[in-house]
Amino acid sequence: MRQQLIQALVALLLIAAILLGVEFGVREGYLKAYEFPPASRIAQGFVELTTVGFPTGVTIWTHTFVTVMRILKGYVAAIVIAVPLGLLIGAVPVLDKMTAPLIVFFRSVATLSLLPLAIVWFGAGELTKVILIGYGCFWVMLSNVIAGVKYVDPALIRAARSFRVSGWTLYREVVLPAALPRMFAGARVALGVGFMVIVGAEMIGTIQGLGALIMEARSFYRSEITVIGMLVIGVLGFLISSGLAAFERLLLPWGGGSSEASR
Amino acid sequence: MSRTGPERASSAAGAAPMIDIRHVRKQFDVRGGGEALVLDDINLSIAANQFLSIVGRSGCGKTTLLNIIAGLDAASGGEVLIAGRRVVGPGQGQGMVFQQHALFPWLTALENVVFGARSLPLAKAEKIDRARELLQLVGLEASAGKYPREMSGGMQQRIAIARALALDPDILLMDEPFGALDELTRIEMQQELLRIWEARRKTVVFITHSIGEALTLSDRVILLAPHPGRVARDIAIDLPRPRSRTDRRFNEFYEQIWSGLSS
Amino acid sequence: MRSGSRMGDAMWGLAGILIVLAAWELATRLGAIDPTIFPGPIAAIRSAAQRLPASVFLDNMAWSLFRVVGGFILGAVAGTVIGFAAGWYRGFGYFARPLIELLRPIPPLAWIPLAIIWFGLGEPSKFFIVFLGAFFPIVTSAYHGITHVDPSLIRASRSFGLKGLGMLFHVGIPASAPDLATGLRIGWGLSFGVLVAAELIAADRGLGFMIMNERNSGGSVSVIIVGILLIGLLNLVTDAALAALIQRWIGRWHGA
Repeated sequence: MRQQLIQALVALLLIAAILLGVEFGVREGYLKAYEFPPASRIAQGFVELTTVGFPTGVTIWTHTFVTVMRILKGYVAAIVIAVPLGLLIGAVPVLDKMTAPLIVFFRSVATLSLLPLAIVWFGAGELTKVILIGYGCFWVMLSNVIAGVKYVDPALIRAARSFRVSGWTLYREVVLPAALPRMFAGARVALGVGFMVIVGAEMIGTIQGLGALIMEARSFYRSEITVIGMLVIGVLGFLISSGLAAFERLLLPWGGGSSEASR
Repeated sequence: MSRTGPERASSAAGAAPMIDIRHVRKQFDVRGGGEALVLDDINLSIAANQFLSIVGRSGCGKTTLLNIIAGLDAASGGEVLIAGRRVVGPGQGQGMVFQQHALFPWLTALENVVFGARSLPLAKAEKIDRARELLQLVGLEASAGKYPREMSGGMQQRIAIARALALDPDILLMDEPFGALDELTRIEMQQELLRIWEARRKTVVFITHSIGEALTLSDRVILLAPHPGRVARDIAIDLPRPRSRTDRRFNEFYEQIWSGLSS
Repeated sequence: MRSGSRMGDAMWGLAGILIVLAAWELATRLGAIDPTIFPGPIAAIRSAAQRLPASVFLDNMAWSLFRVVGGFILGAVAGTVIGFAAGWYRGFGYFARPLIELLRPIPPLAWIPLAIIWFGLGEPSKFFIVFLGAFFPIVTSAYHGITHVDPSLIRASRSFGLKGLGMLFHVGIPASAPDLATGLRIGWGLSFGVLVAAELIAADRGLGFMIMNERNSGGSVSVIIVGILLIGLLNLVTDAALAALIQRWIGRWHGA
């Protein structure tokens, strides 16, 4: 308790010191405002972003909404496909052996390296962005669902078999719940991947979305807007992953959560 | 090897044994070719309501033998009969308690016991009634709504015993059930198990590392020798219950078993 | 659950790969997909080889590798040192932790505009982005490792008179090596992905640039496809090499 208090105090003082230091440094001419936007400029920029918007007419809320919608579409699509497929592959050893090297390879392909190909196939519009997010989330989710099903504690399976529970009932009532924590961990990691991908995908071929905002702002020498965009992305990522963790506690009340996931 | 089976008053001498193990052999394929013989020609007759312990060093095949009786593993040769019927799988009157409780972490205490009754042709409400009765038997009716991780090790093992009794088995197979408990809890659980055994009249096959535990509980102790696993001694423990560890004959038995294990 | 023979597993895996390749090739031959925008594997490799000499591929690959290795080493060293220091020295932790926690939710790619403002369009900005990709997972795992050393190991070493730096180097760091190893693997994967993205957005060489340039200049889809496969393979091979190194380092006692 006392340690947390000290930690909070130090953190606040540290942040205040950095903000004041930049403010002072810019005012006295040691730092360029363009390279290190001071807090006062950032605050002004934020007001501008909420009212006028940047570029004019596109407020920060629009940017945020557009980005969130793109992530959600790709993310939900990825999970809706990956979960049943992973449950199937994890349950059929031959399928698992056949797909294992493919999945490792597709996961190794950097998602954004698919951007040029996706533009050729789907154009530079919305679909390309959603598909890229979907690709990144899909493989992470798929491998975690498979692992969740495959690495169920064998003792639990023996216990179930000793009560003559087998086949589909065994899968539904033992394997599935035992795999849930791992699946949730995968869903959390996949969301992080979605955030990674969207920022890159939005830097090309659009003026809407937080990734576009920070890139556009730089071209107009408005670095304070870039910083605001970065902060909003950070806060958004933090909020969504906390929301997912809360959802997980609600859904898995037995406390099987926060198991390790593989990326 | 003299068969000095202690016929309990309740089981008439000469009646068919509850468990009849005939020439059971088990070998595993070893990676890179070859086979490992784990059990070699095991023959045992276990009378109804007898409490039998199997003692042996790690790797002597105790757990494998238990799994074969449970119908969870198939023998490479020989057969096991339960009440005259050949064992082909679980659910022929065997109830199993595992080393690390193997309770389903996503089910409450009550739900775990209800799971044990899954394959019974009863209505849900009847299964719940039966589970409540069993929780009462193990003294945990107040913890019906708790998840396994919210319970102590001793409580978890009591739930596991209640779950194993859910199919009302004739035989209770116990694989080092108290091995992970501290000494005090362990002694309590031994008394508890004897009480349940008196109340429900089961045939028990109990695996343990502990000579003292085997002597406190059993009518009969089997020493299993390793490489390959085979019956080295078969000792009838004709001491009255409750047994005292300071009793002279208790200690003579202890010496006898110890010399059998170290020879 | 049962581990079959490794040979058998490899055969099944190979079968899976061949099935996918054959399906891809067949789909283009039968006209199910348009070979002008999605050529089959054989056609793609052949026409990519015709269009660009192997030296161009190798040159771009060398640049990508140089950047990712350089940035990764910077990030790994900084992440390890700061993570261990923040976990071992409480005072330093008070300062380092809030900064790390504050910056961590910001994806590395979101730093690209600032990286360009601070370091220009040249190599330093790429190193910086890769550095960020490696730094956060590694600093987190190093911190987690050093703050979760089994207390009985600490007490045991204290009973033998170890303290201060001696304890850090002889007990703290070895005990947290498995955690650090996990962080290094994640950091490497992230560094790679981040670099490719950075090369797509702002670069004049490297594999990411090569495929993006090919599409912007209306070049060949084959080059893009081969480039993507190359990026995937490079990541796969280097990750396996890193895993083998880690195995040699801690495999004997950690058994991972």
